[in-house]
Amino acid sequence: MSLNIRLVVNGTRHRAKIEPSLSLLDFLRDTLGYKGAKICCNTGECGACTVLFNGKPVNSCVVLAADAAGAEIVTVEGLAEGGRLHPVQQAFIDTAAVQCGYCIPGFIISVKALLDRTKNPTPEEIEEAVSGNICRCTGYTKIIDAIQIAARQLQGSTGLTSKARS
Amino acid sequence: MDYFEPKTLREAVSLLARYGEKAKVIAGGTDVLVDMKFKEEPLCLVNIKRIPGMSYIREEKGSLRIGALTPIREIETSSVVRQKLPLLWESAHQFASLQIRNTATIGGNVCRASPSGETLAPLLVLEASAVARFSKGEKKLPFTELFLGPGKTLLGAKGLLREIEVPLPSKESRGAYLKHAVRGAMDIAMVGVAVLVTPDGGGKKARDVRIGLGAVAPTPIRAKRAEKALRGKAMARALVEEAARIAASESSPISDQRSSAEYRRWIVETLTRRGLEQSWRAVTGKEIDG
Ligand SMILES: Cc1cc2nc3c(=O)[nH]c(=O)nc-3n(C[C@H](O)[C@H](O)[C@H](O)COP(=O)(O)OP(=O)(O)OC[C@H]3O[C@@H](n4cnc5c(N)ncnc54)[C@H](O)[C@@H]3O)c2cc1C
Ligand code: FES
Ligand code: FES
Repeated sequence: MSLNIRLVVNGTRHRAKIEPSLSLLDFLRDTLGYKGAKICCNTGECGACTVLFNGKPVNSCVVLAADAAGAEIVTVEGLAEGGRLHPVQQAFIDTAAVQCGYCIPGFIISVKALLDRTKNPTPEEIEEAVSGNICRCTGYTKIIDAIQIAARQLQGSTGLTSKARS
Repeated sequence: MDYFEPKTLREAVSLLARYGEKAKVIAGGTDVLVDMKFKEEPLCLVNIKRIPGMSYIREEKGSLRIGALTPIREIETSSVVRQKLPLLWESAHQFASLQIRNTATIGGNVCRASPSGETLAPLLVLEASAVARFSKGEKKLPFTELFLGPGKTLLGAKGLLREIEVPLPSKESRGAYLKHAVRGAMDIAMVGVAVLVTPDGGGKKARDVRIGLGAVAPTPIRAKRAEKALRGKAMARALVEEAARIAASESSPISDQRSSAEYRRWIVETLTRRGLEQSWRAVTGKEIDG
């Protein structure tokens, strides 16, 4: 049995025929080709597959693709605007908060969601926002630095870069 | 696999009546999808997420009514819950990651009936009821009777949880939810303890004490003998310590990869004592003396 769904990913409309047991992660990667969401634990533990679902971060590996019918999804591919990286992406590069990079798209999405919720996150809010994202390489210190820099960057700007999309 | 997205409760329960044990309800899917990947697919999946009007938090006649499809994150960010049911708020706050809290529903947490289910010990202590829909009509099932064993509730294969009704505790009462886990909130609780204390008029004695234990028996349980040891008594140190020991003896934990039974019992004792101390401090503004 299969079903037809329509949804919006990174501003682009899609329609597809899917198996009802398909996860949103497999759907994004294998059916639509958005490989930015990473597959890792596949059980909701690590956060590598984090995407925005109607503006909220979720682990796409434990969400049914069928539930995304009518929804708006944002993956890491959707953050850059006109060739310019999102301030969160740029901050991760500037602080070298990246080693192997596998966990990073998930972190970037969690941080984007955090800075959409609040422009001035406390250290506790930062910790909470990425507590569902595991990084085996960096030791997190530089990631926290990157988040603080991105927050400052967005406070300085008009806020349009992040607001316009959410 | 057959798949349905019922649009009404009536349609959903008639599907459950038709498919019986072959059907699996899916809400947020954070438990079900993992089972489908690593155990087996059900013959029929009933996705209840498209039934409108099942995600809400409403105050009504001295109770808070929470729709079964309400995400844990909505409970965590609800100012009514934070103000009136801080015990439930605390368990929502300590529940997994933000990503999981955005997806997982409270109904799924209850129906999963995991002994370690985060919201269960608090709901048990708050004397909540599950409002369940069957094809013959609705039943109100008190949490004290709801759980039959790991994964088993009075809902059986044919009942659908519609709402959780939580009577608001007395204004003077104070509580605590304490969770012991290796990775903090991200981890399944090794032990979870919920305590609710109501003082008498003079603020010297405990008029009512309720203690709920998670992850230390086949279902979440109330530590009834420990509660009885404290009810109507002046809260003195020795008595509180004794009650915590009784609570530990009422638990029947298992040994698994997370910890041994002996260790769990020890944690029950410690968390129960701390929970009672914290609650009493919140009630009176003073430490327990003597
Ligand atoms: C990484 C990770 C971390 C987790 N951490 C925690 C944690 O810290 N604490 C914790 O308690 N849990 C945790 N869980 C478990 C899970 O997230 C919770 O049990 C959650 O509340 C389940 O809700 P759901 O909506 O996702 O349920 P689903 O997976 O959709 O369903 C769960 C069960 O309930 C049944 N069901 C759901 N809704 C209804 C209904 N309305 N009527 C009848 N039956 C119904 C389903 O058939 C199924 O048996 C974690 C899970 C993951 C993947
Ligand atoms: S791949 Fe989804 S949380 Fe790890
Ligand atoms: S950079 Fe390698 S896992 Fe995070």
